[in-house]
Amino acid sequence: MVGLNALSKFFRKTIGPRIESLGLLPHRYYLHRALDALEEDNIDEAVRMVTLAGNDKKDARWRLICQQVIFRCRVLAAQHQKQLDRFKTEMEIFGKPSELTDTYLRLQKAEKRAQDILRNYESSLLNQLIGSKSAPVRAE
Amino acid sequence: MDRRLSIPGGLTGALVGLAAELALEEITGMEIVNGLLAVIGAGFGLIRIDRRIYEATVNLIKRVPVEPNSDYRDVLEQIDEMSLELPELRDSFVKLVQAGIEAQKA
Repeated sequence: MVGLNALSKFFRKTIGPRIESLGLLPHRYYLHRALDALEEDNIDEAVRMVTLAGNDKKDARWRLICQQVIFRCRVLAAQHQKQLDRFKTEMEIFGKPSELTDTYLRLQKAEKRAQDILRNYESSLLNQLIGSKSAPVRAE
Repeated sequence: MDRRLSIPGGLTGALVGLAAELALEEITGMEIVNGLLAVIGAGFGLIRIDRRIYEATVNLIKRVPVEPNSDYRDVLEQIDEMSLELPELRDSFVKLVQAGIEAQKA
């Protein structure tokens, strides 16, 4: 029992991340970790795990989890867009030469950056999905 | 086959187990039971991945932000827009909605 516990802790803290990044662990392990990350809204980790689990891209579970992460990216990006719109409206109300303008501009920049990161994740996962099976093209 | 259960025997066993765990924890400084439960939990989670996928789908819907003045049609429209190009997830959402309607009817 002691050996198992110590081994598990040792694995998680030392060689675990290295072996993880090699993609050598079972497919389900990465899916499980992707779901953990999605639950915690750690999108970066979720995308990394989905990508590592992507050796078998025709797997239905992989496709569904990949789509779940994309959906969450879209929801979060929409929230950032709402914040951006709110800042824009408030800046219009207060006027340009305001003490708050600098703060608003900085906040807008941060929101835009977060949105760009999420969109990059989304397009990266969409490419993987399309690579695994021909997905319908979005109507513009 | 005649089986006899001994309550004092069971209690003694539990007490000896607890004492052994505490002694090992004192000597080694490691939380053996917690560690073991974590390992078992991780293994169990790996096996029950389908259940976790279902729970994650439900959570996704629950975490869609809803405006105070919007009704269910707005929310459905929002979910519909965001699930473009995601056919399997869309199917799952439809099944969840259908299950909800069936549950309400029943």
